[in-house]
Amino acid sequence: MPSLRRLQGRNNEGTLLLVLIGLCVIMSLLNPVFFSINTAFSIMRSTTVPLILALAVLLVIISGGIDVSFPVVAIASAYTSVTLMLNFDFDYGVPVVFLMSACIGAVLGLINGVVIARFRLPTLIVTLATQGIFFGAMLTYVGSRYHPDLPPSMSRLSTVNVVNVVTSNGKAYLHVLVLLAVVVALLVWGLLKWTMFGRSLYAIGGDYEGARRAGFRVVRTQVLTYVLVGVIASLAGVAHIVMSRSANPQDLVGGELDIIAAVVLGGASIFGGRGSVLGTVLGVLLIQVINNSLLLVGVPGAWLRAAVGILLIVGIGIQTVSARRKARRVHSVEDAATPAGKEA
Amino acid sequence: MPKNDLSTGLRDTNGRVDSLVRGMVERARDNRGVGRMVLVFVASFTLFAALNPRVFLGPINLQNIMVSAPEVGVIAVAMTLAMLTGGIDLSLVSIANLSAITMSTMYTALGASSPGLAESMAVPILLAGIMVGVLCGLLNGVLIGVVGITPILATLGTMQILNGLAIVWTGGSTLYGAPSGFVTFGKTAVATIPMLFIVFLAVAISIAIMINRTALGRKMELQGANPVAALFSGIRSAKVLLGSYAIGGGLAGLAGFLFLARNPTASADYGTSYVLLVIVIAVLGGANPNGGFASVAGVVLATLTLQVVSSGFTALRLSTYQYAIAQGVILITVMIVDAITWPKLRRGKKRIASGAPTK
Repeated sequence: MPSLRRLQGRNNEGTLLLVLIGLCVIMSLLNPVFFSINTAFSIMRSTTVPLILALAVLLVIISGGIDVSFPVVAIASAYTSVTLMLNFDFDYGVPVVFLMSACIGAVLGLINGVVIARFRLPTLIVTLATQGIFFGAMLTYVGSRYHPDLPPSMSRLSTVNVVNVVTSNGKAYLHVLVLLAVVVALLVWGLLKWTMFGRSLYAIGGDYEGARRAGFRVVRTQVLTYVLVGVIASLAGVAHIVMSRSANPQDLVGGELDIIAAVVLGGASIFGGRGSVLGTVLGVLLIQVINNSLLLVGVPGAWLRAAVGILLIVGIGIQTVSARRKARRVHSVEDAATPAGKEA
Repeated sequence: MPKNDLSTGLRDTNGRVDSLVRGMVERARDNRGVGRMVLVFVASFTLFAALNPRVFLGPINLQNIMVSAPEVGVIAVAMTLAMLTGGIDLSLVSIANLSAITMSTMYTALGASSPGLAESMAVPILLAGIMVGVLCGLLNGVLIGVVGITPILATLGTMQILNGLAIVWTGGSTLYGAPSGFVTFGKTAVATIPMLFIVFLAVAISIAIMINRTALGRKMELQGANPVAALFSGIRSAKVLLGSYAIGGGLAGLAGFLFLARNPTASADYGTSYVLLVIVIAVLGGANPNGGFASVAGVVLATLTLQVVSSGFTALRLSTYQYAIAQGVILITVMIVDAITWPKLRRGKKRIASGAPTK
């Protein structure tokens, strides 16, 4: 059934969408409050920052690496910008804030990229180290104070909504920064689909040596990837600070594995070479919907971590088993043997 | 005749010394982790001893290093096992916490009915904690070895599940209570060396023997070095992986006991920073994250080095944030130094392994 196969999507996006819709239907039946614009808007709001971060991680994972420093990069660049603005008392508007923190994010990403690409070191280990360095450097040299008040332009932005709807259960707001997530998602999608850079990412992730021999500039692409991750993460950092209406340097840090889990759930292969923006969006949404519905059904929030873990194991387990079956059907022993051991 | 005897004797000795020296040189090259860590350890110890001898060399500080190193060290040894087989185990700290919570809950439950019984059950409680660890490890082993999920993802998932269970179990609060036997054990010292540290050394030595002297250890090494070759050599990878993750889980369970012995409280989020710290320690100690090589001696030294740096920073009144910077800088520096010198020593192997020339 070719049409069904197409619906399933290259990275199981179809299956994911089905699970997501099924969950929404069940939730709406169990608790009619769930099926409302308010819930939809609040889920979209809480999805914004994780989604932007997940898109950054998607790029790294497609290129065959893994990055655990991105939450620190996000918060460090945004917090540094806010601290500078407050200390030197200047405020040239929101675009400048984004630009400033994007520059800091780019520099931090460049450090990651150069160390990884130049010395061919394992990405997990390097980003683990830079995570400590960036975090320590921010708290030591920039500051560890919590800023309850943001610069005026940012605090103005934090109350801007694109849509205000009055519904039967009160007012529903859709925050303007949701649009930022949409724009970033579209840009990353275009980047992966239409540019040479996107092609190089998939090629390098699929086979590093193969890509190099085919003439891809692997080192340059890798460095650029990490710079881009830094930039995208820094946008998420600013969005987070604006939406939480305060700047806390300890925020976001520690959530890296949750974001990676969402990306992997979205069908990206941890070995590289596979992954899509659509899948990532669905993966992040699924986790947020589960989060939201657990609370609505009355399951204590404490179960959330366990639920995400089970979902991850079941999702990956199904993918692994079906991939192995497919590999066995085609030909080799080699493919059947690899899943047991090596890790990228 | 005696002259001849002498010359053969000399030749014999010469040959023996020669092979001994060659063996030592070879070993030094093989055990890069160990040689390097001895150097870094001595260097950092001397540095802090010179900068602030009064505080750093004080008996309290040295005692402190030996008391706080074991819990991290035992988990790092478990991480080394996972890396030896080419995997990684992110769930170790969650397992340790779950085991500590189990032991604390058992003690409190028993103590509610008869306090005397609870105290006398210290050993069974300890065994139960380790069993919890082994079972969690087996779960990892099944997911990785039998189902075939990539280790980093499988253990990421079990980390979330076990941590989630721990949060649900404790309701997010800290549990108090551990058998008084645990606490006295944590405070006992033999010839100024704390019992906790002796446990750590015993664990390290037995795991080192397991890796170097048993069939299971050799199989783990081969599985990590080349899973396909291991398969064709008749190694049952599922069994080996089950074994190594179960042992790792058991060690994490033991680490849960060390948590309780140091401080009779258990919570779901104790030692969350350990997850990444133990990876740093394992890699510094010379474990190859791609599998096939690991050195327990290197890991012990790396654990001690990081504890020395940590307490040295405290002695110099530097913040924990600066310690985080130092930790990262040490890791990156060591990795870069390795990346630069490796290709010269073993060019052929490196080419094949990484597939790309390092400029």
